[in-house]
Amino acid sequence: MKVKVISRSTDEFTRERSQDLQRVFHNFDPNLRSQEKAVEYQRALNAAKLDKIFARPFIGAMDGHIDAISSVAKNPNYLKGIFSASMDGDIRLWDIANRRTVCRFPGHQGAVRGLTASTDGSTLVSCGTDCTVRLWNVPVATIMESDSLSDCSSEPRAVYMGENAFWAVDHQCNGDLFATAGAQVDIWNHNRSQPVNSFKWGTDSVISVRFNPGEPNLLVTSASDRSIILYDLRVSSPARKLIMRTKTNSISWNPMEPMNFTAANEDCNCYSYDARKLDEAKCVHKDHVSAVMDIDFSPTGREFVTGSYDRTVRIFQYNGGHSREIYHTKRMQRVFCVKFSCDASYVISGSDDTNLRLWKAKASEQLGVLLPREQKRHEYNEALKNRYKHLPEVKRIVRHRHLPRPIYKAGVLRRVMIESERKKDQRRKAHSALGSIVTEPMRKRRIIKEVD
Amino acid sequence: MQSHKMIEKKRKSRDGKKHDRPQKFARKSKFSKKRGKIEDDKRRTGPRLPQSLRIELDRINPNDQSGSEEDEEGINDDVYEYEEGVPEEESKKNRRFDSVENYEYELPKDFKDENVDSDDDDDDFDGGENKIAHHKGKKGHLDQLDDDVEDEDDERHLRMLQGITGMPSQAFQDRKKTKVVSEGYPESEYNPTRDVLDGDGRIAIEDLLESIQGKPGYRELRKITRQVEKKGKVLQAPLPKEDRDRLERSAAYEQSKKDITRWEPLVKRNREAPTIMFDKDTDSGFSTIGAIASEFEPRTEFEKKMSSLVNDDNVMAAHKEDGSRLLELNKISLEDYISSRNHIAKMRSLLFRHEVKMKRVKKIKSKTYHRLLKKDRLKGSVGIPMDAEEAKELAMKQEFKRAEERMTLRHKNQSKWAQRIVKRGIDTQDEGTRAAMAEQLHQHALLTRKMNSMKDSSSSDDSSDEEDSENSDGSDEDKAPKLLAKAREKTRRVLEEDDGVPDSGVLSLPFMKRALKKRKEAADEEGRLAIQEFESSLKELEDTDEAKITKTGTVIEPKNKIRSSSYSSDSEAELEAQEDIDIGLGRTDDMQNNINVNSVSLYVDADIPQDSVLKNSELVKDLGPKMTYEVSILQSNTWKKMSSSRNEVDTNGKRSQKVVEPATHNQDIEFEGVGEDSDADSEGQMLDGILSSEHKSSYKLPSQAELIREAFAGDDVQEEFNKDKEEIMNLENPEPEKPAQLPGWGQWTRVQKKKGLPSWVLEEHENAKRKREEALRKRKDAHLKHVIISEKLDKKAEKLLTGTLPYPFTSKEVFEQSIRMPIGPEFNPATAVRALNRPEVVKKQGLIIKPIRYEDVDSHERGGEERRKSGQKQKIKRSKGRVKAVVAKS
Repeated sequence: MKVKVISRSTDEFTRERSQDLQRVFHNFDPNLRSQEKAVEYQRALNAAKLDKIFARPFIGAMDGHIDAISSVAKNPNYLKGIFSASMDGDIRLWDIANRRTVCRFPGHQGAVRGLTASTDGSTLVSCGTDCTVRLWNVPVATIMESDSLSDCSSEPRAVYMGENAFWAVDHQCNGDLFATAGAQVDIWNHNRSQPVNSFKWGTDSVISVRFNPGEPNLLVTSASDRSIILYDLRVSSPARKLIMRTKTNSISWNPMEPMNFTAANEDCNCYSYDARKLDEAKCVHKDHVSAVMDIDFSPTGREFVTGSYDRTVRIFQYNGGHSREIYHTKRMQRVFCVKFSCDASYVISGSDDTNLRLWKAKASEQLGVLLPREQKRHEYNEALKNRYKHLPEVKRIVRHRHLPRPIYKAGVLRRVMIESERKKDQRRKAHSALGSIVTEPMRKRRIIKEVD
Repeated sequence: MQSHKMIEKKRKSRDGKKHDRPQKFARKSKFSKKRGKIEDDKRRTGPRLPQSLRIELDRINPNDQSGSEEDEEGINDDVYEYEEGVPEEESKKNRRFDSVENYEYELPKDFKDENVDSDDDDDDFDGGENKIAHHKGKKGHLDQLDDDVEDEDDERHLRMLQGITGMPSQAFQDRKKTKVVSEGYPESEYNPTRDVLDGDGRIAIEDLLESIQGKPGYRELRKITRQVEKKGKVLQAPLPKEDRDRLERSAAYEQSKKDITRWEPLVKRNREAPTIMFDKDTDSGFSTIGAIASEFEPRTEFEKKMSSLVNDDNVMAAHKEDGSRLLELNKISLEDYISSRNHIAKMRSLLFRHEVKMKRVKKIKSKTYHRLLKKDRLKGSVGIPMDAEEAKELAMKQEFKRAEERMTLRHKNQSKWAQRIVKRGIDTQDEGTRAAMAEQLHQHALLTRKMNSMKDSSSSDDSSDEEDSENSDGSDEDKAPKLLAKAREKTRRVLEEDDGVPDSGVLSLPFMKRALKKRKEAADEEGRLAIQEFESSLKELEDTDEAKITKTGTVIEPKNKIRSSSYSSDSEAELEAQEDIDIGLGRTDDMQNNINVNSVSLYVDADIPQDSVLKNSELVKDLGPKMTYEVSILQSNTWKKMSSSRNEVDTNGKRSQKVVEPATHNQDIEFEGVGEDSDADSEGQMLDGILSSEHKSSYKLPSQAELIREAFAGDDVQEEFNKDKEEIMNLENPEPEKPAQLPGWGQWTRVQKKKGLPSWVLEEHENAKRKREEALRKRKDAHLKHVIISEKLDKKAEKLLTGTLPYPFTSKEVFEQSIRMPIGPEFNPATAVRALNRPEVVKKQGLIIKPIRYEDVDSHERGGEERRKSGQKQKIKRSKGRVKAVVAKS
């Protein structure tokens, strides 16, 4: 007699601890599972819907300033420390974990226009319309940790006077130089009261300046004469100028790709440029319906955040033509400054309504410590969504956003205008001699010329 | 021209040293050569020869004018004996000016001569100088003389102009920018001459060379300077600042471009990597256990004690050296060791015994035993003297239980189960159920009883248990005298007891006191009687064994009496008796129950066999005919088979014929005949085949076409296909419904008869028809005869299709491939899932990401060595297909 039994070795099926999962064996033969694709599609759909359900990007607002916030700076060495400056000359250091002011830096007489911190996070540089540049000592982290509710205030370490109002300031990465922008571009050293170097190319005032984080001797400025100028500090001379049709309000270098920077333009778009080929933009990021006021790259270099005069904050992929995310609240007014946090998980925006707002960079991200199983589940959902994002149902759910009526209407209007312009162009082209009218691609259309 | 002369002259006049320099060398230089030529022209101051004659002379002396000056001068010396100023027009090679003008020009010269005296003095001085120079050589004298003459001319001219116009001489000095400035200091680098300051009178290399003439190395230097002169490099003027800036900027841009470009491979690698990791180099403060332990501070007493022991100097020192000292410190005396060993052995044996006992106990299957054991354990736990808190806790717990019971009445037939049983009637239930019900009620009673009586109940339980055990142990004989003795004792105690009359309350009232006294006396009386009775009965018991039961009955009676009499004091005896009675009754009840149950069970038992028997019999009855029937069927079957085997074979044969028929119906009919004839089995068919083959001796092989035609003769494929196509067309573009007139619709009576359908209905129908035709015509397969192209849209499938090819993909196949394999944990092994689901960017919350830092990426050319160095690790990484982004370490 032959007896057949299912036999399982105890070694394989005995759990070491009671918390261990019961081991299950699968037969991965695809013939046995004909529905797997359908199952995964459905899961992707559900994941997209769940994302929508859990999308709660707004973490909190930090109020304390009594005037519009003009600029925000992050401490590159300390995650929780965020500096903000307002139009009435008030500078504050925030602990964003507790969302409270830790320290104040009084001294500026007029609006503070530029704010930046050194790479080691020990020095804060501010400049403003009172023609001064002020250097401050940043209180150490331990003071931030101590929960003394009486916020300390500190005196400036140094005050340097300039001739004209300053519009922007930025600190070199891993160096002790910083650059201010105003009537001209000045390069300063921490230890000198006079600028080490000054550049002037063109007559109009410079409104923004940004050092390249990867290549610390390279900096780019934008001026109100619609130009973007590239400087090289080693040869201490400007390198190249680009003139666009509209003014560029702010610029940000990609921290992971030192050749690329993105310019936030007055014409509602952002333009990504390769510093080596300035004759055309690499990508045009459209979606805002009003001037883009500020831009900041995520430290991962894969996305950037923009704040706009249309009262929204948007997050773009570094190579995406349209925004991935839009943030808005009822009470948020014109956004003047935005920053990505140093761990690429949060976004900070400062706006006209005197509030600093803290957002999640990924709207539906679960905060806090995740169990490994949770982590795996999130990853799986994300991968599924990513895989099926091109299919119409998933796409619709992922892309859908509720917008405030004015922004929505402005967007519609903009689209109509662009469309009609395009139609007009088409007709003009159709009714003129072949080749006499050449339509330029959008990447080139807004560029007037490149000056060497 | 004149200015040049003047310069030379002035230099000479100012610098005495320069007078004695050889004119020869000065003339060699480029600058002075030209001047020399001019001077030559001027020097011909003899009677002016006509041009033709001069040409003739040139021809005789073939030395051209630009030849060496010595020759020319020699010639000059030879030809002319006296000097005469050469007119200007003669000096110019092209004779542009006519002679008349020249004459006019010469006139004022004579005129001037008269005025100037001082000039003469000058001349004299010059002449004196010349005279001194004259001693040196004729040449030098001539030269000097020439210069002087020129100078004199100029001076005169100036004076003349001044005289004519009456203007100061400065106004005419634009021609000669220089004038003699006598200076107080000698010329040096600190006090340069005016010429130098004005930019004229540059010092040429020749000037410098003069001074070292004749010294060693001079020749070489001269050679070099000549060569340089020949090549004649000229420095260009600097560009305007704008252009310079532009150039600088473009150079800077090129430079920075180059610098940026070196990042390209790095960026490319990061971009192409399926995942960039930013979760490395975390600094979470304490990383090792040691680090955490070093931070430990003893807080409690125990910890302090431990730390003092652990951090003992001796121990630490021992640790630091080697293990031997540790052993020394660890020494124990022999007695201690033995005692501890013994203690351990004892404990072990005890443990073992306990274990064995527990094993044995565990094996006992009796439920009652376990129940009793449990009770014992509970009692034991109760009996253990516990501290106040524990007791309180227990009391609280019990109180809570009671309150809960009162609230819920859970044990009072409230549950569905209990209600169902009550509805059905308890009597009909079996023993177990009833017991359970009783238990429940008992529980209820226990829980709802008054608080103070709770302990009593438990004690009564005890007594009953004791009695139970007594009962179980001893017979009734033992029980009776004991009971009697007890009763006697207790009554005696009651009697002896001096009841203190309460001093206060209702009972303290005088009439109550009196009543109590009376009653007590009565009770005492009764008690005494009872004692007597007890004693007598005891004696009787001792005497006789027969009348036990009756006696016990009598024993019980006085107890009842006692209870009735002494109601004021709740003595234990009374309760005991009550319990006894209760228990007795309960027992009898139980007995009855048992009996009942038994009877029932017996009945049931009796029933069941009866039923079963009945059923069995029925079954048997049922089975009997069935079996027989089946058997009969079988038999019949077999019989049938046996009998109708021939029939069956016939049918088989017929079937085979049918099968064969369609295939062969075109062929010969012989077959059929044979089939009909054969009434046998398959063998017959075989036979048929053989037969047929045998029959067809005149068979001719058919052609291929014929064979195909024959093979598909039955089915008309074409027509079927057409029909199918039409069907599909109708399905996809359905034919409009034909308008029909419903009877009774649209007319009132028979009288009002309509002529037909309304026109609009017809029109609509027409339209629909036309539309359909058009749609049919527009179909893709309208003109394709053998093709059906379905134009039906599958809405369910549509949502799984993309409108266009998504962006990063270049072909449809690639896109489909990308979503073909499932990625879920159910469809993939656990080792692969993580890699399949890994997101593009892996980062950690709270970890600061630093900007990119430069590192060399091994390109294909020179990657070999590094790859070999890094070895297997990198290989694994690459196989996993993930690249860590280059992140600066903090």
